[in-house]
Amino acid sequence: MSVSFRVQESKNKRKTFILLLFMFIIVAAAIWAVAQIAGVGSVWIVPIAVGIALIGVWGSYWSSDKMVLKMTKAHVISHDDAPLLFNVVDEVRIAAGLPMPTVAIVDDPAPNAFATGRNPEHAVIAFTTGMLEVMDREELQGVAAHEMAHVGNRDTLVMAVAATTAGLVAIIADIGVRVAFLTRRGNNNPILLIVGIAVLLLAPLAALMLRSSVSRKRESLADATAVAFTRNPTGLRRALETLDENSAVVQARSTAVSHVWIESPLDGKTKSMFDTHPPLADRIATLRTMEQSGPLPQ
Amino acid sequence: MIAGYRLVMALVIVAVIIVAVLLVVVIWQFNSLRRLMVNVDEGYAQIEVQLTRRADLIPNLVETVKGYATHEKAVLEAVTNARAAVQHADSVPQTAAADGALTSAINGVMIVAENYPDLKASSNFLQLQEELTTTENKVAFARQYYNESVRALNTALVTFPSMLFAGIAKATKRDFYEVPNESQRLAPDVGFS
Repeated sequence: MSVSFRVQESKNKRKTFILLLFMFIIVAAAIWAVAQIAGVGSVWIVPIAVGIALIGVWGSYWSSDKMVLKMTKAHVISHDDAPLLFNVVDEVRIAAGLPMPTVAIVDDPAPNAFATGRNPEHAVIAFTTGMLEVMDREELQGVAAHEMAHVGNRDTLVMAVAATTAGLVAIIADIGVRVAFLTRRGNNNPILLIVGIAVLLLAPLAALMLRSSVSRKRESLADATAVAFTRNPTGLRRALETLDENSAVVQARSTAVSHVWIESPLDGKTKSMFDTHPPLADRIATLRTMEQSGPLPQ
Repeated sequence: MIAGYRLVMALVIVAVIIVAVLLVVVIWQFNSLRRLMVNVDEGYAQIEVQLTRRADLIPNLVETVKGYATHEKAVLEAVTNARAAVQHADSVPQTAAADGALTSAINGVMIVAENYPDLKASSNFLQLQEELTTTENKVAFARQYYNESVRALNTALVTFPSMLFAGIAKATKRDFYEVPNESQRLAPDVGFS
C-alpha cells in the first residue's frame, strides 16, 4: 500500500493547482474591492492587484513551512533533543519511502500535532510538548504516521497555502475597512462601492470554506494512509482516544492555522461547514473496524 | 496528380502521428519501469543502512550488559556471532536469514537484562533500548517498503503492456526480502548453560 499512494499524487497536484488558482482569484478580488472603496483609479489597479495576489500566493507556496513554524512558535529539534520522537518520525518516513522531514516541538500543554511544507523535501512535522507527555511510543508512532500521510498525500502544501492565503485575505480586508473609514473621497459609483464591500466581506468567508472542504476529506484519507504505513491501526486509534479524553484545546489558537493540527483547536463539539476535521468519534470507529478485520500483512 | 499528392501527404501525417504516439508510449513505459527499479534499489539501500546501524549498536550493547551481567557470556556471544553473520551475508535471502537470527539474539539479551534491575535502570541501557527498538522498527518498515516496491516491479513485468518493455528497460524480477523462519524471530532461544 505504501507505494500506491503515489498514484494519488498527480491527482492531488492537479487539485492543488486549482486551489491555488481559486486562492489567487480571491486575493485579487479582495484587492480590487479595497481599491474600489478607497476610490483609486480602477483601470491601473488591476495589474497591481494581480501582481500582489500572485506574489502573495506564490510566497505562501514557497515559504509555507517557515511561515507555519513561525505562526505556531515551533522550534526545530534534532535527534539528541528528543530521541524517541525523532526516531518515531524516522520510522514512519521509512515506511512511507519519503525523505526525513524537519521535526519541531511547540511549547504547549495541549496535545496536538501538525505537518506542513510545500513538498516532501521541505516537510515539517511538529508536536506539542503536551502530546509528548500524554502519548506512549505506539500512539506517537500512529500520530507521526498520520502526519507523514499528509506529507505523502501532498496535503501539507494545500493546507499551508490555503491557510496563508486566508490570512492574506484577512489582512487585505482589514486594510480595506480602515481605508474606507479614513478616506472621505469615496467612490462616486455607489454600485461599485457596494460590490466592493460585498467582496471584502465574502472573501475571507470563501477562503475559510475552501480551506475546510479541502482538509476534512483529507483527514480521513490520512488516517487510512497512516495505517497503510504502520500496518497498525491500534496506535492511531489509541492516540485519537487519548486526544478525545484530553479536552484541553491547543492554546496557541490561531484561526489561520487551525486546520493543520491533527485535532482541530477551534471545532469544539459542533459540526458545521467550517469544521476542518471530521469528528474524532467517527475516525476512531473507522480505525476500530480496521483492527477487527484481522492483522495486516507486513 | 494533386489528389495523389494530397493522399500521400495525408498518409505521411497519419504515419508521423502514429510514430509520435508510439514514441510517447514507449518513453512513458520505459520511464515507469525504470522508476519501479529505482524504488526497489532505494528500498534495499535503506534496509542495508538500518542493518548497519543495528550492527553498530551491538558492541555498545555487549559492553553495557557485560558491566552488570557478568555471567551471561553465552547470550552475548550469540549476539556477537549473529552480528558477524549479518555483515558477511551477500545475497537478499542470506541477509534476510542473518537479520532474523540477529533479531532473536538481541531479544535474548533483552530477556536476560530483565534479571538485572541495575542494568535496566541505567540511562545508557535505556538509551540503547530505545535505539534498538527504533532500529528494529526501521528494519521492519524498510523491509515492508522494499517488498511493496518489488511487488510493484514484478507485477509490471508480467502484465500488459509494461511486460513488452522489460527488455529495453533491462528490468528483471527481484527477490522479496523474507525472514525465512518466522517462529525463530518470535521465540528467541535463551541459553541457560
